[in-house]
Amino acid sequence: MLRRVVAVVAVVVCAAGVVAYQATRPARAPATPRVFVPSPRFFLDFSPSFRTSIADAYYLNMVQYYGEHARGDGRFDSLPQMVDLVTRLSPHFARANIFGAFALIDAGRPDLSARVLRRAFSENPGDYRYPSYLGFFAYRYGKGKTKDVVAAHWYQKAASIPGSPSYLTRLAAVLMGKGGETQKAILMWGQVYSAGDKYARQKAVVGLERILPKEKQARMKAVAPLYGTMPKADFEALIAELFQGYGQ
Amino acid sequence: MKQLVAITINTFKETIRDRVLAVIVVFALLMIAGGLWLGSISLGEQGRMIKDFGLVAVTGFGLIVAVFVAANLVHKEVEKRTVYVLFSKPVSRAAFITGKFIGLCGTMAVVLAGMGLFLFALVWIVAGQASGMVLLAVLMIYVQLLAVVAVTIFFSTMGSAILAAVLGICVFVAGQLSHNVLALTRLGKNPITEALSWVVYVIIPNLSAVDVKAGAVGEQTLAWGQIGLWVAYLLAYIVVALALATVIFRRKEF
Amino acid sequence: MITVVGLHKLVAVGLRRRRVEILKGVDLRVDRNDVFGLLGPNGAGKTTTVKVALGLMRPSSGSVELGVDGLSQVGYMPENPYFYDYLSGREFLGFCARLFGFEAAARHDRVEQLLRDVGLAEAAGTHLRKYSKGMLQRIGIAQALVNDPELVLLDEPMTGLDPVGRVEVKRIIERLHERGKTVMFNSHILSDVHELCSRIAIMRTGRVVWQGTVHEALAEAATLEEFFMQVVTS
Repeated sequence: MLRRVVAVVAVVVCAAGVVAYQATRPARAPATPRVFVPSPRFFLDFSPSFRTSIADAYYLNMVQYYGEHARGDGRFDSLPQMVDLVTRLSPHFARANIFGAFALIDAGRPDLSARVLRRAFSENPGDYRYPSYLGFFAYRYGKGKTKDVVAAHWYQKAASIPGSPSYLTRLAAVLMGKGGETQKAILMWGQVYSAGDKYARQKAVVGLERILPKEKQARMKAVAPLYGTMPKADFEALIAELFQGYGQ
Repeated sequence: MKQLVAITINTFKETIRDRVLAVIVVFALLMIAGGLWLGSISLGEQGRMIKDFGLVAVTGFGLIVAVFVAANLVHKEVEKRTVYVLFSKPVSRAAFITGKFIGLCGTMAVVLAGMGLFLFALVWIVAGQASGMVLLAVLMIYVQLLAVVAVTIFFSTMGSAILAAVLGICVFVAGQLSHNVLALTRLGKNPITEALSWVVYVIIPNLSAVDVKAGAVGEQTLAWGQIGLWVAYLLAYIVVALALATVIFRRKEF
Repeated sequence: MITVVGLHKLVAVGLRRRRVEILKGVDLRVDRNDVFGLLGPNGAGKTTTVKVALGLMRPSSGSVELGVDGLSQVGYMPENPYFYDYLSGREFLGFCARLFGFEAAARHDRVEQLLRDVGLAEAAGTHLRKYSKGMLQRIGIAQALVNDPELVLLDEPMTGLDPVGRVEVKRIIERLHERGKTVMFNSHILSDVHELCSRIAIMRTGRVVWQGTVHEALAEAATLEEFFMQVVTS
């Protein structure tokens, strides 16, 4: 009987020790900014049957890694490799591509972010989000005088994809004008006017007002190329709005 | 034919009632449901996570059931000497092997259908809709596992159950890497190495050719004609494996 | 009915595949309607002889003729039978009946009759893994009789049975004999052999060293045990 009691007490003490130890340990081990990430080549040679599963596992890992370091030391040393691995293994995984691109911005690597989005767009040419984000990144993080025009081209490309929202053309037109490509901007605003609703037309008129010359002759010369690029009725309506108050 | 039907029904009853199978299936369902937790940390990709990890769980647990049950099917009969009862009756060795295989096919169908429908329902609940691709992916996993079952039965006629199970798992893994072996045949400059690589490539069943898991999560464009041909290839492979198993089993004495 | 002539059997044993001769020229004759006892010490080759006769093993040389039209006319019960854990007694006998091509209605009737004959009607729905040794022995006899065979081979049919079970099995064997069937069984319980058998053979180290009627044996010794000891130790 005594032996049984001793045995039970020993087991209970051990169990209590295990629980107490686990409960008092820190909630999470300190996150290291640099972790081992295998090369995509290794997994691309692996079975195609499990590529997406491996990509998903590393995607979850990537999200947790980003979250820990965004709240912590702000270092994302291994983030580029993680994003590269996940997006190469699963190139149609939209959320991973987009999340990775934005996370790389936070990691101070807009160049890698653009590379990820370009690769994603080449794999998913029907998804307007990639060129629209490329346009945003070019405008926000690009350098040099041509950054607005580069952004405008990306927005224009995004706008040409079926199913894309109408504001993309307007963004392209604004940036084209801002970048100094006035003629192209005028043509784009013409497209917005003829393809859009009342709201879009208002926006087109405002946009054109911003870039057209104030002098009547110069203004007429600037809008002349619009003739033939849009239906006659739309052209006449637009001219009427643009030359309102200019007299005969 | 009647003996084949009798052994098939008997094998199905024996295997489907095994308690270990029930435990494995319960664990599999828990693992599939575990995808819900993974989905909660995926930034809105619950549907994809549940589908992907659920299909991996179906594959993994399906593989465990396939190899461990298949490895024991023949071996247990010999160990427990129920073969004395069977082969003292007018039962051919071919009917025995084939009946065992078809019986286990039935059991695997029930197990995988259960797991597949559970996964489908889970995806439906979480994502609000579920495409039939999940069920098709489970069907293709089933076809792959049938090939593994046939090969494991073949190995079990030659050696111990453990060895047959291990070799069955090895064949499954090798079957996922079949395309790598094919690449090896093109790399070597030595004709002997090239020939050996070809032999290995032909012997290993190309399982990844019928895998559509990536298609279930939108990562694969599926050429159903090609997949259909590969399914026919695997069925022919199964026939050859069972025929070889029968030839070896015929030579066995009890 | 059973004619065994010059039966030899070699097996390869161990890692080095050493050849061991288990049967060294067995000659045996079992006549139609005999109740025949095959006796011998452990390792004499009794079970091996039966296995070769059934085709479970191939002879190295010699011949075996069962004198029936294939295995559909034979019933066999192995020693210490083990059956399928998750089948009930009824399902197992139904499976055996299917192997002989019984159709559904005939199968049902035959199975129920056999269950009554071996005293397992009440346990028919229980899984075989819950059967006692004696119950397994009874179901083993039942499966050997499913096809109403002309030739019945039983290996230690009385092992593990209580006195009631032993009496029932003896009655089964007697009924088979009355119906013109041929029965051959191995047994170490010589009193049962004495009671049931018309002819016996004694094997030792892979050979039949004596063969004849029980009366002939008892002419040379007071009891069958004494005769047996005489033969195997001489």
